[in-house]
Amino acid sequence: MDDSIDVVQATTGTSEIPSYRPDAKTRRYDRQLRLWASAGQRSLEQARVLLIGPDATGCQALKNLVLPGISHFTILSPNITTSQDVATNFFLHPDSVSSSIADESVKYLKELNPSVEGTARVEDPLSLISSEPDYFLSFTLIIASNVEPSLLLQLADLLWDASATVGGPDIPLIAIRNSGFVGRVEIQLREHSVVDTHPDTSHTLRLDAPFPSLEQHARSLDYATMDSMDHSHIPWVVLLVRAASLWKESHGGSLPETSEEKSQFKESLKAEKQKGDEENYDEALAQAYRVWNKSEVPWELKQLLEDDSVKNVSANSKNLHILLHTLGQYVSSPPYLPPTSPSLPDMHSSTTSYVSLQNLYKAQFQEDLSTFQSLLTNVLTGVGLPEDAIPQEEVEGFVKNVSGVGIIKGSPLRVSREGKGKLQDEIAEFDDETDSATCFGMYLALLASERFYATHSRWPGTKPKEDMAEDNREVEEIVTGLVGKKEELPEVLIESIAEVTRGGFSTIPTTAAFLGGVVAQEAIKLVTNQYTPLDNTVVINLVKSESAKFKF
Amino acid sequence: MTTAVSNGGPSKLTSYLADETRFAHIDKVLDRRGPWTDERFIGGQETKDFLRTQSKILVIGAGGLGCEILQNLALSGFNDIHVIDMDTIDISNLNRQFLFREADVGKSKALCAAEFVMKRVPGVKVTPYHGKIQDHPQSFYAQFNIVVAGLDSISARRWINATLVQMAQDDEENLKPLIDGGTEGFKGQARVILPTVTSCYECSIDMLTPPTAFPICTIANTPRLPEHCIEWASVLEWPKVFKDKKLDTDDPDHIEWLYRQASARAAQFKIEGVTWALTQGVVKNIIPAIASTNAIIAASCCNEALKIATACAPFLNNYMMYVGNDSVYTYTFEHEKRPECPVCGGESLTADVGRDWTLEKFIDSLIARQDLQITRPSLSTSRGALYWPSPPDVHEATKPNLEKLLLDLLGEEDGITVLDPALPVSLSITVNYV
Repeated sequence: MDDSIDVVQATTGTSEIPSYRPDAKTRRYDRQLRLWASAGQRSLEQARVLLIGPDATGCQALKNLVLPGISHFTILSPNITTSQDVATNFFLHPDSVSSSIADESVKYLKELNPSVEGTARVEDPLSLISSEPDYFLSFTLIIASNVEPSLLLQLADLLWDASATVGGPDIPLIAIRNSGFVGRVEIQLREHSVVDTHPDTSHTLRLDAPFPSLEQHARSLDYATMDSMDHSHIPWVVLLVRAASLWKESHGGSLPETSEEKSQFKESLKAEKQKGDEENYDEALAQAYRVWNKSEVPWELKQLLEDDSVKNVSANSKNLHILLHTLGQYVSSPPYLPPTSPSLPDMHSSTTSYVSLQNLYKAQFQEDLSTFQSLLTNVLTGVGLPEDAIPQEEVEGFVKNVSGVGIIKGSPLRVSREGKGKLQDEIAEFDDETDSATCFGMYLALLASERFYATHSRWPGTKPKEDMAEDNREVEEIVTGLVGKKEELPEVLIESIAEVTRGGFSTIPTTAAFLGGVVAQEAIKLVTNQYTPLDNTVVINLVKSESAKFKF
Repeated sequence: MTTAVSNGGPSKLTSYLADETRFAHIDKVLDRRGPWTDERFIGGQETKDFLRTQSKILVIGAGGLGCEILQNLALSGFNDIHVIDMDTIDISNLNRQFLFREADVGKSKALCAAEFVMKRVPGVKVTPYHGKIQDHPQSFYAQFNIVVAGLDSISARRWINATLVQMAQDDEENLKPLIDGGTEGFKGQARVILPTVTSCYECSIDMLTPPTAFPICTIANTPRLPEHCIEWASVLEWPKVFKDKKLDTDDPDHIEWLYRQASARAAQFKIEGVTWALTQGVVKNIIPAIASTNAIIAASCCNEALKIATACAPFLNNYMMYVGNDSVYTYTFEHEKRPECPVCGGESLTADVGRDWTLEKFIDSLIARQDLQITRPSLSTSRGALYWPSPPDVHEATKPNLEKLLLDLLGEEDGITVLDPALPVSLSITVNYV
């Protein structure tokens, strides 16, 4: 072990190292690249976003997408800017009054980032849906902010139907509705893949089931001849692999199971100590539980492998499905475990011991990767695809982080709008004592208000204040119909309805900014296929600064 | 004003400003009460007059949260806004600090933000202060109704919190609600502090994740991670090579030097992963930041400011967390006051001390305490200095005490006063021998 290094030697010859000074773009995006890296940024820079309903909420959402650098946005609206629009929307100016709201807000949003393209389309979305439906399919993602309920539903149907054909576009629709302090965000998509959920840890240490080179390495160490410095710098992973291997040898191949055996195991570990203050042993004792935590395929991953779209793949399957299908084959042969991750947590150790341990994991990862690769080749040729159908980078990223993938399956917006599907279950299980009761009440109030709108062509709470009671009563009746009970509505539902009506479906700047932030976070997650997006509805109650999510 | 050159001309602006119906959206919740609206809500013209013509609000920080806060307050109807920030604009701010453009790099954030908001939202007055919050006396803070803080610095937060608590303790009339926001990546939190009434910032200081600190021996002798090599370059090599030159983490030449040193060391030890971005991230302790998260947290802060100023809805009691990296999750709860909080608590702090402890061991135990978060404490008793790290003459005089037993130094006394650069107030600690 070479602990001391020659400083002069380390500081000379540095001119050979090339400079990687970041360019202006990397510097501009530095704080976000630390979240989604260059792969995420590449996806973002290819995203084309359509906004229908350019109100304050929609423009706030766009602001948060223009800033990190999407490729393009279009604002679609035939409307003329009013002074009410200007007073709520930061991306308008008093000068904008009487001009096209799409033109004006595009102008002010474009200022935020010179590399983003912005277009206004001054046209009625409803007529565009019938005259040019394909137009909507040219976007990566569509945001509909406070648009008329019937228009939203037509748009949702269009996108849902388009995604039904194999290989057809599966364009996420994010729908926003707000009224005063209350907001709702919904996402409709058929299926979404997450390639990196960014789990807290991706290590696969395999203490209980070490790969051969790891076990060999751990067993080859001769503690007796080691000097005390070396001994106190053996990484805890090695200590535990060795102790577990020895234990198995003397216990018929099994690991500690009972609590008695577990403390025995720890005692024998302690007995190995040469001095009292060996930090590596303290770490090993603290981590000993990992020895009897069986290495296995994580439950969530098992679920994914069981999915029909993963079990049965074809040339039209998504890359992630093919990769998961291959993984299914991979884990069905010994050691029945996912590939080894090349990553290793930091631990008390000398540099050389740590680096050589790390190299063992890296080498095993390479070996597992090539095993996976040959299985993948078979799968790909089996379905009639070329061997290189999936880019090497994608394959490697997948194998490195198999526990960080996810698939979300959505449902059509129409189902919940019609009061069907999982909404029925939610209604049946409704309990006015739970934390989410108010938010669910608000969801029902918004749904009922949309029906109110269909009849009256105006929103509840939009008449002068003396008429709030009348609107409230009517919305309450609709909600009573939705929940299908004869008895009086619980207090929490009455209150939720009252707050929604009070908002009069107005756009308060703070609510708009909050929802705009939520929508943009979700859009970024959807576009980058990183982090887990909302599935599929969230209600935000800014009276109480709380939220609840629902899967309808 | 730039509006004079636009096609609408000043008359368009004049008629816009004269049109009170432009506030129709927000007036929905200012004219009428909701089911949870407080008794003290008046509503209508009186409420709106207070908000739009009488209230005076201070924004601390014109960065990621600050830009959003200024936008939201201006649109919500706060017309007398003050903003304070000591920073200038950097290119890495532009992915979220949306009041700034490339041409503004190098300019004062407070001035630039104030100018932009006034241009975009005519009728709003924003008064900027380019400087430190610590340079303003209590009388400065006393002029505001509400203080909203969007800071990235813990010490600045501790200072404004202690200042506002102190002001409220001295005079109930001077109770200024403090609304504090913070973000990291897809996560953030907003909270309302009513000084002396609710828990304060200092009460929750132990909730902060301690900064990753690498032991010096790891950095010097057994580097394993690229971070260890970078720390070696910045903590050990820089002071050795550039004796009198202070490391400036904003200077790309300095980062370049560190990067080269760290890369060379990493190569020597066969450690992979030293990059420019990581070097910068480690030495500047960079926290990932995006516009959308700032938007959520700033909106929550301003929503609370609006509710406090108008009583149109109950305000947050007193803490909301937002977590966006795994779906959407919020957690709203009441953070409890800490009775032994050095800033707002009435009870004095006790420290369990061994009879065989030296003063140095005692000081180390204070530094390690998660509920204190101090780094360079000065200790005194009623008889004088026990140990002060500065000024040099007192340091020299008190240094020998470090090796002495605390028991011998204190004698009959059990009270120690602690001052620390991170601590906005002096701390009284009662020693308890165990």
